[in-house]
Amino acid sequence: MKGTELFTELRIRQLQMQTRRHFLQKCTTGLGALALGSLTGCMNRNVPGHGKNPFATKSPPGFAKAKRVIYLHMAGAPSQLELFDYKPELAKLDGKPCPGSLLEGRRFAFIQGVPKMLGPQYRFKPCGQSGTYLSELLPHFSNVVDDACVIKSMHTDEFNHAPAQLFMHTGHGRLGRPSMGSWVSYGLGTENQDLPGFIVLVSGGKTPDAGKSVWGSGFLPSVYQGVQCRSDGEPVLYLNDPKGMSRDQKGKIIEAINKINEESYKTFGDPETLTRIEQFELAYRMQASVPEAMDITREPASMHALYGTTPGQSTFANNALLARRLAERGVRFIQLFHWGWDAHGAGREEALNMGFKDRCKEVDRAMSALILDLKQRGLLEETLVVWGGEFGRTPMRENRDGKVMTWIGRDHHTECFSIWMAGGGIRGGMTYGETDDLGYFGIQDRVHVNDLHATMLHCLGIDHEKLTYSFQGRPFRLTDTGGKVLDKILA
Amino acid sequence: MKPVLTLLIFLLLLACARQEKPAGELPELVGYNTHIRPIINQKCISCHGGVRKKGGLSFLFPEEMFLPLEDSIPAIIRGDAENSKIMQRILHHDPEERMPQKADPLSSHEIDLIRKWVDQGAHWETHWAFIPPQHPAIPDVDDKENIGNPIDHFIRARLQTQGLRANPVAKKEDLIRRLSLDLTGLPPSISDVQAFVSGSLSYDTLVDRLLQSPRFGERWTAMWLDLARYADTRGYEKDAHRDMWKYRDWLIDAFNADMPFDSFTLRQLAGDLLPGAGPSDLIATAFHRNTMNNDEGGTDNEEFRIAAVIDRVNTTYEVWQGVTMGCVQCHSHPYDPILHEEYYKSFAIFNNTADADRDDQAPTMKVYTHLDQPKADSLKAYLTGVKTRPRPLLPKENLDQMQAYELPIMQELQGAQKRVTRVFERGNFLLKGEVVKAGAPEILQAGKAIEINDRLQFAQWLVSPSNPLTARVMVNRIWAQLFDQGLVTTLEDFGSQGNKPSHPELLDHLAMRFSRDMHWSLKKLIRYLVRSHTYMQSAAVSADQLQKDPGNIWLSHAPRPRLSAEVIRDQALAVSGLLSEKMYGPSVMPYQPEGIWKTVYSNAKWIESKGEDRYRRAIYTYIRRTSPYPSMITFDAPSREFCVNRRIATNTPLQAMVTLNDPVYVEAANHLADLMDQHPGSLEDKIGFGFEKAVFHKISSEALRTLVKLYNEPSPEAGGSITPMSQVAIAILNLDQFLTKS
Repeated sequence: MKGTELFTELRIRQLQMQTRRHFLQKCTTGLGALALGSLTGCMNRNVPGHGKNPFATKSPPGFAKAKRVIYLHMAGAPSQLELFDYKPELAKLDGKPCPGSLLEGRRFAFIQGVPKMLGPQYRFKPCGQSGTYLSELLPHFSNVVDDACVIKSMHTDEFNHAPAQLFMHTGHGRLGRPSMGSWVSYGLGTENQDLPGFIVLVSGGKTPDAGKSVWGSGFLPSVYQGVQCRSDGEPVLYLNDPKGMSRDQKGKIIEAINKINEESYKTFGDPETLTRIEQFELAYRMQASVPEAMDITREPASMHALYGTTPGQSTFANNALLARRLAERGVRFIQLFHWGWDAHGAGREEALNMGFKDRCKEVDRAMSALILDLKQRGLLEETLVVWGGEFGRTPMRENRDGKVMTWIGRDHHTECFSIWMAGGGIRGGMTYGETDDLGYFGIQDRVHVNDLHATMLHCLGIDHEKLTYSFQGRPFRLTDTGGKVLDKILA
Repeated sequence: MKPVLTLLIFLLLLACARQEKPAGELPELVGYNTHIRPIINQKCISCHGGVRKKGGLSFLFPEEMFLPLEDSIPAIIRGDAENSKIMQRILHHDPEERMPQKADPLSSHEIDLIRKWVDQGAHWETHWAFIPPQHPAIPDVDDKENIGNPIDHFIRARLQTQGLRANPVAKKEDLIRRLSLDLTGLPPSISDVQAFVSGSLSYDTLVDRLLQSPRFGERWTAMWLDLARYADTRGYEKDAHRDMWKYRDWLIDAFNADMPFDSFTLRQLAGDLLPGAGPSDLIATAFHRNTMNNDEGGTDNEEFRIAAVIDRVNTTYEVWQGVTMGCVQCHSHPYDPILHEEYYKSFAIFNNTADADRDDQAPTMKVYTHLDQPKADSLKAYLTGVKTRPRPLLPKENLDQMQAYELPIMQELQGAQKRVTRVFERGNFLLKGEVVKAGAPEILQAGKAIEINDRLQFAQWLVSPSNPLTARVMVNRIWAQLFDQGLVTTLEDFGSQGNKPSHPELLDHLAMRFSRDMHWSLKKLIRYLVRSHTYMQSAAVSADQLQKDPGNIWLSHAPRPRLSAEVIRDQALAVSGLLSEKMYGPSVMPYQPEGIWKTVYSNAKWIESKGEDRYRRAIYTYIRRTSPYPSMITFDAPSREFCVNRRIATNTPLQAMVTLNDPVYVEAANHLADLMDQHPGSLEDKIGFGFEKAVFHKISSEALRTLVKLYNEPSPEAGGSITPMSQVAIAILNLDQFLTKS
């Protein structure tokens, strides 16, 4: 399909475009922009094959342990007090009124007046070689806990779901900033040119509260936004050929289009025409590579048993298995969302003693299988896996409208929550950070969302202060004006 | 690896610096704006600017720059570089002491420039954009061939110095398509193309005809909707529906009626405060009710009311002034002389409206569809005792039968309800500081202190002759719509961190003509722009042009951008004969793949529209902020959460999938194929007809051969809906020349 000559010309043209246009517009506008240049076009112009393709593989400027990220977001914010942060002292205070000092000057979403303390609802025990405390709701995870680092002292700035999810994914609590997946694919490109570089998989039947903005590209070019792949229906929107069209027919149509486009190139000399020819060929290849990657029926029975998967559903388990398949194929950033963790106790589905248990069952086995599976394939050390919600839950029982509620639940809490990280540059078998006896404040090694982002980028070989993009008159970065790398958890 | 990279950066920067400024030669007179500010902004301002003032020194305001420091001596002694501390510090032998700290030293050229500037008296200059424009002289040029109007003088004067020449006029077929897409967002009719090519329709008549077309208003509304961050929902978690479409219809009428941009501005920002404000003036104020609402349970309504006011301030400055006020929310502007308090003076202007992140969206006004509105207006007037002629024929019940929609509008708080505005320390609304009075930043007032108490006075100041930016920002925006990039490429930032204008005199010439001679008429401005040879020239680019000016900054050829998301869709529907010309009304829901709207806490459903509503122009498509229409997003349309001045065009495989596979495009191709099949003559005639219908010029023999071959390829799946002619039509609707403007 390709005229070799034409494509040699394409590369030369691309390089010409890049050197001047990029330099003039981006690289001379400030120090921040210089760093951008070093990550994208400007610096790499002598790297063979690095043309205008925004997804061309880019080597990170620093030493990278992780090549990719699998981020498991639990939308709605799981309770740390029922999973990772064991508080025997809180159990003793169960049912007692909350001390006034914990309420003064604090903002809660629903708690009113003086709520009662709520002890841990499940049993905890030390697990693995490391003796990391885990709740009985995570039986499978207890088998892989020595590969993970549990961080108990996370904190955030936002206490409502949509803003907090935005904060977790874009480093800012309002709409309009690029998501971390966009930043990473902008900084590093992708390793498999036949698949999108940033793929999003959603389970639980709902998109997160903040909508698709949590995988949006904000002010970065839209090419860096996450591409949602689906387990049912078309795996990517508009991927399937129109009804009644064969793949062979499609190939011939694209061949004709590109042939006439070559003619246009001769008339107008526009380098974008050559890029378009390339993009049409890529679209054709993706039509084969995406369904292949997304088809879990190709996995052996043992894998389905390990993950607990049933092909054809859009479950967290299916998505976890897909995450491994995509990681294997060199996708740079794989983002999973699972819905339904908002355990206020306002209804059965969102009660700590009911729906919450189901959520744990839905993820415990699959997320543990993912670690095990990556590990046995030798992929864990180059894949950074992160699990967590957007904030934590209060050590007090929620009393919506000042009343005792039927179901047991906890309100939104920003001061501390737990996440875990594993693989790609992270030291396994440790916990990091401590909270007070009530599980209210982080008291040691507090980790801000910016710090988490800085650490993730560090594992990928990127200095978070240098990955910038100039917008509205200033260089922006994922960590805004904050962020410090958590040296103690690095492998 | 790291040191190598650093070295590479350094070498490249050096190479780059050399390319930009011929090294060595010092100018006779060192200018602050031309020579010094770029160095300071790049190397010094992050420590000595609006955010930090290390050692008490800031370069942001002239008075601060010459202020005595801790040892009571100023850093810069005018006329005496030798004894100025600034020189001692940039030349210091101890790397710990040398400025800039922890960075590479300034180049010897930069040091020489600063030395000479201080010796010449260290004259400070206001940034170009904050000095009101003047009528510049029209430059004389050598190349006088095909001069269309003075615009070409300004362009050619620069081409001359770059060793470039303007292209000849484009082929007529390309020119009429370009003009029609630019002015109306739709391709021309075949009959107009034939008349224009044969010479029976003149270019000027064609321009006027397109300016008069009702399609004109729809096309320019598409531009404004990005600025207004227009959407049909409220944003955030629930992202519930809200009736905003009447505002979109107002824009269409305003652009079609060529409402002067100064009147337009007053109505967008303060229609409710105009003396004798009518319903139409109130509808216009919905501009600032496009801010988002957060209806999520447990949110602090005051927090999100303030977020909306902040968005109004930032949007207003970005749209009318090309100034990035977002920075000043938390601290003084890092690069431009705007103080932290000044942000809250502007905040105070917008902080006094009745809306408040409430679920009921109040205040709202009842509006009706275009068909119902006149009836409703006259009935209401009749019922309230206003005598109207002719008397309405409808009884009162009919008003109740007509479906009313609630459009959110702006309403000023009065008397004791008025809000007091305080500075938010570090931008945090819980940390309230000093009380501030309404007002505009001093730097934008061009030396004339102006009294501003409310939105109306603020809007009046924006369009007053003393405002340095409004006209420039607007002509630059329109220029970018026609020429792919602005004379100032950073449409959103005219401040000192934005790019400098490529043709500063042309920018001022256009700003002065637009705001004075043309009395803010957009149609006159557009007519003026498209009558230039610069606009009419061919888009072909030679290797020499590409090499000398790869970014086409100097405009030796017309741009060849990919069409916008809206035009891509509208064009496919138009050439296949599917496009509905129906205007106005509630947003419609054309085909969208299953399962896109799976959002939380909302029962909202995408219910596919029926009949011609499936084929309406893209500006009528329903926009849900958290789940925008997917094929439009793929073509770089924004999700309308915030004001967007400039879409960044991408070229991706996902776009190819939309135009190849999206049922909307397949249906268009099938329709085009039907028209081709019905066309009389041979297969070659039929294919040639379809090709011409899409791109308006005769098919080349080579392309014809390619498409005939495609037609004759055996289709293995007989009985499929994709006929041989459909295959050809799909190919035509995916051609580079169809997806771009030539």
